[in-house]
Amino acid sequence: MEKSWPCALNLLLGLLLTAHLGSCQPATSQAPPDKCSRRTYQDSLVARYIEHGAQQYSYLDPRWTQCCDSLIAICPNIAVAYREKAIPLIKDDKFEEAFALENKAVALDPKQWLAYRGFLKCIFAKDYEGAIIDFQGAARLTPNGFEMDHTYPFFEGLCNLELGRYARAKADFERDMQQQRGPDGKRDIHFNTLFYVGVLHYEMKQYEPAATYLGRYLSIYPQHPDANYYLALVHRAQRNEPLAKRHLELARQALTQGYQLNEDNTYYSNYPHQITAYEVEAALLPATAKQVR
Amino acid sequence: MRLLLTACLLGFWLPGLGQRVVLPDGEYMDTTSTWQSACRLKPTTRYYNVNGKYPRSSDTLREQAQALLQRGDHTYSGSGYVTFRFIVDCTGRRLPRTQVLQTDAQFRRYRFRPELVEALYAYLNTLTDWHVARSPNGQETANYIACMAFKISNGKVVAVCP
Repeated sequence: MEKSWPCALNLLLGLLLTAHLGSCQPATSQAPPDKCSRRTYQDSLVARYIEHGAQQYSYLDPRWTQCCDSLIAICPNIAVAYREKAIPLIKDDKFEEAFALENKAVALDPKQWLAYRGFLKCIFAKDYEGAIIDFQGAARLTPNGFEMDHTYPFFEGLCNLELGRYARAKADFERDMQQQRGPDGKRDIHFNTLFYVGVLHYEMKQYEPAATYLGRYLSIYPQHPDANYYLALVHRAQRNEPLAKRHLELARQALTQGYQLNEDNTYYSNYPHQITAYEVEAALLPATAKQVR
Repeated sequence: MRLLLTACLLGFWLPGLGQRVVLPDGEYMDTTSTWQSACRLKPTTRYYNVNGKYPRSSDTLREQAQALLQRGDHTYSGSGYVTFRFIVDCTGRRLPRTQVLQTDAQFRRYRFRPELVEALYAYLNTLTDWHVARSPNGQETANYIACMAFKISNGKVVAVCP
């Protein structure tokens, strides 16, 4: 009798689990199109198959994909199902499969997903031309929109920076900062805008404004390895080697302590101009050793 | 006679493909699975769960890969992505088994000339500083699935992901 309770509990849990997983079993039939076009029906399916389905698991769990596929089988016109299905694929650099799904999501709901696809192109696939086109399209649909904590012109600025179109990047970052400041012009600028504007000025060999922006950034986040690294390069370009070395040492120390560029997706992908300990060590090497290297 | 013909065809065909093998789940540069016994029973995760991006910036990787391409006599062509996927074992050694994925610049299936793919694979083989995945307390190690994608524009490496 004492042992029957755990058994009963296991049985009950097993039944509950089976019932729960059953919600993501492959759908046997597609719902009628008029039903699939109803917002309330769509929302109920998203709640069942995504929020209480896929998102109950890791996206590396096969049940994640199974839940998305079930939703797509019932109503193939729900954009979020394709976007969710693409998440593990984009993080594995499976671009063919991932972008086929992202394209489907954008085709179904461009206002919701076009900027997100632009973000993926910019940060994950480093398809800078493609990302700019997406962000420009997104701006037409949602003026002054944001994606992943940043304005659309911020991402356009990153793309143009990486493409070496510095004048365009500068104009983009100016629009980014104007949008961030808001109508009253008093709101704060995102710290990573300051970082990238500093990097842009460094690339343009405009060392004074580069030092100003990177210095402003470091006053907010002194341990930032990348800002210390680029400020070191600025000082080196200005022939101030002691200060350059000091910031390279700070960058090295920060990286050793685990600090890095503060963006959510750096676990998956390097951000533009992001550096590692290798670049810091290379910059610390004396010129003669670099030639040997 | 048929055997002779097959042998001749293979003799001409295989050197051009290097070690590339097409399996039901995809195309591989190498299918050799040689696990070190210490890693065989360890869990396998993804690179992003263990800070497993290769410890170089994307710019450094791009410069090095492009320099290697320029070293040969070949002129390469095509635009898109060549992606390699592989396992780094619990000692930080990249296993030979390597899947290759190729798309054009619009992310549609595409095939670059084998010489370009082989050259990028040769570059991948020069990368030996893979991170050893450890548990937060540093006691346990793990294997992880990693990838590296080369963005190609008119035969040149213009970016490296991740």
